[in-house]
Amino acid sequence: MSEVVEEHPSLIPVINRFGIHLGLGDKSVKAICEEYRLDCDFLLTVINTFLNEEYFPEKKLQTFHTSQIIDYLTKTNQYYQRYQIPNIERHLGSFISMSTPGNNTLNLIGKFFSSFKEELTSRIEKDDRSWFPYCLSLSEKLKGYPSSGQFEALHLGTEQRLEDPIEALLADLKSIMIKHLSGDYNENLCYAVIFAISSLEKDIKQHNRIRYRILTPMVSAMEKLCI
Amino acid sequence: MHRNKQIAIILPDTLQSIGLQSMLADYFPPVEISRYSTFEALSTSGNDTFDYYFTNASLFVLYADFFLPRRSKTMVLIDNPEGGNGLPATNHIPVKASQEVIIEQLEQLFTGDGNGISSENNKELSTRETDVLQLIVKGSTNKEIADKLNISLNTVLSHRKNITTKLGIKTVSGLTFYAIMNGIISGDDIEL
Repeated sequence: MSEVVEEHPSLIPVINRFGIHLGLGDKSVKAICEEYRLDCDFLLTVINTFLNEEYFPEKKLQTFHTSQIIDYLTKTNQYYQRYQIPNIERHLGSFISMSTPGNNTLNLIGKFFSSFKEELTSRIEKDDRSWFPYCLSLSEKLKGYPSSGQFEALHLGTEQRLEDPIEALLADLKSIMIKHLSGDYNENLCYAVIFAISSLEKDIKQHNRIRYRILTPMVSAMEKLCI
Repeated sequence: MHRNKQIAIILPDTLQSIGLQSMLADYFPPVEISRYSTFEALSTSGNDTFDYYFTNASLFVLYADFFLPRRSKTMVLIDNPEGGNGLPATNHIPVKASQEVIIEQLEQLFTGDGNGISSENNKELSTRETDVLQLIVKGSTNKEIADKLNISLNTVLSHRKNITTKLGIKTVSGLTFYAIMNGIISGDDIEL
């Protein structure tokens, strides 16, 4: 386990989401999963999809239980709210105050980020308040069904996903900074902001893949069964 | 934003062909590559819009009628550096050269007439595009923009597409900030 994390430090927040802390020692992935009572298969699948953009075993992910997937998505949401967003804000705040005060462009970037934050926050609230509980209640209702039959109907509706507004906003924020920044600014802090935005962007992309290609089809299949 | 380079590889040697394909994809993206094992396969495909052709010396000579007019866009793979003498002046790659040399040769080919590809890549918005941008930012729908500027809905859509390509910005909020940053509209015109 430690070898993987050493090679890919970006996994640290991911394993944290599963409740795994650093100080991994030489334990194998299996040993760690036993220690933390985690589904080894699920952990590995999440890690692999996180690291490898091309790897996305839809069929396999859909065999996991709805509650596992929702639990993971909830944790990633929390991570955005508690750490990544405040982190970007911190960098952005000092970026704006340390650069030339008169640079209006930077203030605008600050405002753009706030509007992005609002979008993301409201999506997370909606997730917590209605969407996730709804998904869970559906899977609760279907408890009696044999789980293999449950997912027979899942091939439909995969690639019809629209552009995600959150992803698009982040991409634009980055692009505005890279392509259209003007005036004097603090280079070091600017890089910190862009770096933080990039890592959030990458994480959200992974989150969205699970959200749109796994959870959404699972839910629509469950809805069919419930009717 | 560069258009993908359309490339045809016409080589009977499968390994050579795949190797070339992966080098092009790795070092000179974005590319769109079609591979043909014979010249007939290329001509039956009916596609004549390639930006570049890669082939070997014997095919080049055999189908000189085709390749000579496209000489500047064609790269000939030759087995040894002296063997190229029989050919008229062409771009060629000695297949036994080291990877670095081959990459350099490829680079020369692509920079040789790169202007044909990038000339359309004009960063500045046209006046019309600026008009459209102003209206988008003020929250007009495509239909309203079409009516106001007296253009068709399709024209509005294609302006929007061009704006996004030129600026690299997709969302309305992103465009709004771009417009304010560049004085295309004043911040008072809209609420943020």
